[in-house]
Amino acid sequence: MDLQLASFITAGILIVIGLYGTFFVDNVIKKIIALSALGNGVNLTLIAIGYTGGIVPIKAQEMELALFSMSASYPLPQALVLTNIVIEASMLAIMLGLSIVFYKKYKTLKSSELLKDD
Amino acid sequence: MNLLPLIVVFPMFVAIIFNYLNGKDKLIRPMAFLMALLLLVLPFIGNYGIYNFGAHGLESGLASGISYIYSPMKQLIITVLMLIGSLVLITGLDEKKSSGLTVALMLMGLASVSAVILADDLFNIYVFYEIAAIAQTGLVIASGTEKAYRSAFRYLLLGNFAGSILLLGVAFLLSATGTLNISDMHNFLINNPVTPTIYGGLLMIIIGLCYDSGLPPFHTVKADIYARAKPFIAAMLQTYSKFVLVALMLVIFKIFGGLSYFTNAHGALIAISILGMVFGVVMALLQTDYRKLLAYHAISQGGYVAAGIALGTPLGIVAGIFHAINHVIYKSALFIGAHLVERKKVGNLNALGGLLPVIPTTALMVLCAKLAISGVPPFNGFQSKLLLAEAAMNVNMPELAIIMIMVSIGTFVSMMKAFYLIYLKPCSEDQLNEYKKVKPSKFGIFSLAVLTVLCILLGVYPNLATDLIYPFANEFGRMWTL
Repeated sequence: MDLQLASFITAGILIVIGLYGTFFVDNVIKKIIALSALGNGVNLTLIAIGYTGGIVPIKAQEMELALFSMSASYPLPQALVLTNIVIEASMLAIMLGLSIVFYKKYKTLKSSELLKDD
Repeated sequence: MNLLPLIVVFPMFVAIIFNYLNGKDKLIRPMAFLMALLLLVLPFIGNYGIYNFGAHGLESGLASGISYIYSPMKQLIITVLMLIGSLVLITGLDEKKSSGLTVALMLMGLASVSAVILADDLFNIYVFYEIAAIAQTGLVIASGTEKAYRSAFRYLLLGNFAGSILLLGVAFLLSATGTLNISDMHNFLINNPVTPTIYGGLLMIIIGLCYDSGLPPFHTVKADIYARAKPFIAAMLQTYSKFVLVALMLVIFKIFGGLSYFTNAHGALIAISILGMVFGVVMALLQTDYRKLLAYHAISQGGYVAAGIALGTPLGIVAGIFHAINHVIYKSALFIGAHLVERKKVGNLNALGGLLPVIPTTALMVLCAKLAISGVPPFNGFQSKLLLAEAAMNVNMPELAIIMIMVSIGTFVSMMKAFYLIYLKPCSEDQLNEYKKVKPSKFGIFSLAVLTVLCILLGVYPNLATDLIYPFANEFGRMWTL
């Protein structure tokens, strides 16, 4: 199978798992894991968009510029993914921190009990 | 020399310093005051026009780095944003324990919202959109109550979901157009046929817009964080949301405006705005908690802003942006008024009463803000709501104008109910003596006074703001009728 297509399919599966886990699983840690899967699915989509089947976008000194620009993958999505990983890590870290507070206080991680409307 | 990036970089850098100063109260107070003054200078350090930086700048007519666009309209929005930030910082000086972390988060939010307003590329907008969400969550957590933690978690949970969906939308548009620069993306779209990927991208960006601006279906979670944060911090949070709403709506119009297939999205955006207006005011009428009442009104007024811009006509865009500016001014006054009331150790509307003789000046200023939000002349809310109704009539949508007027009546009723319960309802002598023991906050009253003066000033001279918005709207908006 084409590598780009396989990446898109994997990304789609990750996104569906992430969406299901975020809204239908009753455990805050599992919800966080699901969100992580959703984020990874989006990151994989971005990487797959930039993949052209060619070489990595690092130009060796001896390589000709014309050849490089024709064969290298699109580097912009890779830069985006790198930034997104950092943002996502900080968001998940705050959520995990709050989960610890919730567990210490209520001795449960059930989101139906912890996140119900006041 | 063009110092435009400093509008974003300077508050972000100072936020790091405040973060390290957390706990050193004696140092934080004077520094926060100094920062409050410096924030007022920031909108005036940049030149108008396009500012390219990073990567290789412009290459064969395409922007390869980060582009910021600055215009008088953006300067006006950033000036109001920084003014509210400055007043909130000043109000916070009265807090018993100054927290460097709170100031840091506030500055981080100011920097990121400024970047969302200035940026001309989708990824930069996404990054700062997420940083603004983190800053807002931090500010809610800073209030330190269990309910605040729960609200913050719910907000982050949906924030992570909406952020991922927004990024997926950006990815779709990148794959369809090959660029992230908004101007280049628009030029590509008008010269090429539409594909399903572009529809998907548009839909996902609208989901991201709804989350950060508190439009349905995310209105309850947004109202929740306004209600759980300290009231003077909620003033800051709702300012962030309104300006992100304006920025993202303008981004959507800049990318897709003028394209034949965007007509349906117009309708969808107007429908979401109407739902926001109606849900917000109905929920507000049901509230007995003053903070929640104000929070739902913030959602309702967000609907007005979105409806104005979603009309897409020059008058609609002017009305929407002008209403966003007016809204952040009078709603900040109301939240700071709530902060002054809460210092009297009471929060629930049913437990309040008789505060008029205790804080008469505050009561008068809060009444002005309440009349402004209800659209009563001669306050600023009247001017922008009049423009909004006129814009709806111009595109042959009298029903939208009627809904706006009805929502305004609902707002007036709930605001007057709250005013009666807090300031006019008779209370016992003991309760009155208890209220009088608490020292008034001079900084809070100063901030409230500045905002009240602005409510009247923009109500009497709306041209001060609209004259700056019209040139942008005339260039940007398009005439259409149903």
